[in-house]
Amino acid sequence: MNTIEIQNITKTFNHFKAVDDLSLAVPKGSIYGFIGPNGAGKTTTIRMIMNILYPDSGVIKLLGSEHLGTRLDRVGYLPEERGLYKKMKVKEILKFHAELKNGTDINNRINYWLKRLDLEEWAGKKVETLSKGMSQKLQFIATIIDKPEVIILDEPFSGLDPVNVDTLKNAVLELRSEGATIIFSTHDMNVAEKMCDYIFMIFKGKKVLDGTLSSIQDKYGNDTIRIQAENGRSVLGELRGIEKINDFGQLQEIRLSPSVDAQDILSAILQKTRVTKFEIARPSLYDIFIRIAGPAAKEEEDA
Amino acid sequence: MRKILILTLREYRTSVRTKSFIIGLLLAPLLMGGSMIVFMLLKDKVDINDKKIAIIDHSGIMADTLVKTAEYRNSHEIFDPETGEKVRSAYILEIIESDSASLFETKIKLSDRVRSKDLHAFIEIGPGIVHPADDPEKARIIYYSEHAFMDDVINWFTWPINNRVRQIRIDELDLDEEAVGDLFYYNYPERMGLINVDRKTGDVQDAQHTNELQTFLIPYIMVLLMFLMVMMSAVPLLTAVMEEKIERIAEVLLGSVTPFQFMMGKILGSISVSMTVSAVYVIAGIVAAKQMNVGDMIPYHVLPWFFVYLILFVIMVGSAMAALGSACNDNKDAQSLQFPAMIPVILPLFIMVPIIQNPAGSMATTLSLIPPFTPTLMIIRLATPVTIPVWQPFAGLVGVILFTLFSVWAGGRIFRTLILMQGVKPKLGNLVKLVFRG
Repeated sequence: MNTIEIQNITKTFNHFKAVDDLSLAVPKGSIYGFIGPNGAGKTTTIRMIMNILYPDSGVIKLLGSEHLGTRLDRVGYLPEERGLYKKMKVKEILKFHAELKNGTDINNRINYWLKRLDLEEWAGKKVETLSKGMSQKLQFIATIIDKPEVIILDEPFSGLDPVNVDTLKNAVLELRSEGATIIFSTHDMNVAEKMCDYIFMIFKGKKVLDGTLSSIQDKYGNDTIRIQAENGRSVLGELRGIEKINDFGQLQEIRLSPSVDAQDILSAILQKTRVTKFEIARPSLYDIFIRIAGPAAKEEEDA
Repeated sequence: MRKILILTLREYRTSVRTKSFIIGLLLAPLLMGGSMIVFMLLKDKVDINDKKIAIIDHSGIMADTLVKTAEYRNSHEIFDPETGEKVRSAYILEIIESDSASLFETKIKLSDRVRSKDLHAFIEIGPGIVHPADDPEKARIIYYSEHAFMDDVINWFTWPINNRVRQIRIDELDLDEEAVGDLFYYNYPERMGLINVDRKTGDVQDAQHTNELQTFLIPYIMVLLMFLMVMMSAVPLLTAVMEEKIERIAEVLLGSVTPFQFMMGKILGSISVSMTVSAVYVIAGIVAAKQMNVGDMIPYHVLPWFFVYLILFVIMVGSAMAALGSACNDNKDAQSLQFPAMIPVILPLFIMVPIIQNPAGSMATTLSLIPPFTPTLMIIRLATPVTIPVWQPFAGLVGVILFTLFSVWAGGRIFRTLILMQGVKPKLGNLVKLVFRG
């Protein structure tokens, strides 16, 4: 069963098509990652799902119905640009958000989540006294405080340190294990690869990727080699049959030209230097993203 | 509705819990009351410095009389009979002789003396003062001073001059002054209200003297209170909404509530605040009036109208302010929009006096039936002792309800679109387009 079904939605702002004939189905209990470059239409799509913006055409069904009404109370939404009333106290603001969502067992859930995200000591303090990371965790709690069935998180990890990213990631997984369907948009391809059951990419308002990571990678085949060798990148530049090199310093990711055999490349490298790691792989999500939205793709499109 | 109430409650708590709210609540009547007390205290504190006044008497019959009258006043009327303390200024008159050739020069010199504070003023009495009908120009009494319009000393001269003139005229006619005493007695009509009959008991309540409290002060206070409430609760919505937009609180809330619920929550919060404050002031005002034995002058029948109109006025202005707030991107935008948006609120204050003077006139009637002005102007008309046609407050109410509904509808349409739109300049054309095209 799908929690969210989007059928052919389009949204235009002053002749600019922010979302163009988009269709999507989010299965119940899944984690669905929205990726795409800035301005591609992620936030507009999310706002339309939340009924904050109305599509010019097309249909959005949330929890089985087109008309949101009280179903909105079953959705937790953390927008990309977010703010809280600074003069309110931490516990007070969580109670306010829970009441707005008609939440039950409010106090217990507030106490549980404040403790879970290390904010217990700040319960009686005003929001303005919190650090940026703390406010972001507080906003996350405000989003999920009423135990929503659907959780939509727009860039939930941006600006957080690794410890807090980890804390929030675990919290998201905990919520999924409790049965929530989660959508989140991110620019961190690593997080998307590791956390999402499904990945959807939007580019210039159009859907360009949709499916499991594996099904997406299958489309591109085993055209990628990850290699660690003495002298690093310097030995790779002179080889034929290489379309692109992503240099990560200690490791290089090579995209092969079509119909080039990886074994031929390995032999060529071994003639020049010692190889400590050689892996034939499918392209990473990061690489796929760059292939679709990077400068080369733009040049190709312009040509 | 539940969500609107939660938002309302938050707005209300946030407003009334602040120190500035409590200080403002107490300070406003203290300042108003304090200024009245200061006025009462200073009322009797008149200037008691001696005043030297020069007299140019072309008639030749007034100067001596004035000097003698002033001397009598200085010895008998400027001291408190009980304490012997000086309570008024002494008037020291100086007679100036001047022929017509040097008159102008004399007046220049006297003017300089007034400027140098050697003199308080000088007065010129025309030669034909006794018979003005022959040549009014020669009967003029001209008082020269630096602040002639506000100078009270001029009033003192009226009686001794006219009294002397009257005596001369009586003497000329060879009349017995006692026999013609009534000739100079003026009868003045008294200002009185109407006689009331209690419809239930049949008791007759006699007419009472009307005064400035009833005629002017009560309508003035009521309309000022309404203005204050709108300024205090509805107008700040512009900056409050703008801040919520800039600080991105709006989008977080829009995940839980619709834009309309969001806007209405804020407006109802403003109404609750204004109701609290106005109820405190009205009750305090009634208690204070009863303490001062003027409680029966309060028009109790106007109070329900006051609160009904206040609620609608706050909704009307509040929805406009919330809509404009949603259109602003920074304080500069807010400042440029705030003043024009407040014009309908401020304008009635400028035409308040003519409305109080003639509350049943055609200007008052017409203007008070124009919805944005109705709440304030109808309250003024209802609060004066003049009876206005019964249908008019109701007709005004219908107009205000319709206009308020339009205001909420239009404001809601603007608010819904602009609350999430950053960087769009709030131009009037765009706002109108949003109202009618969505």
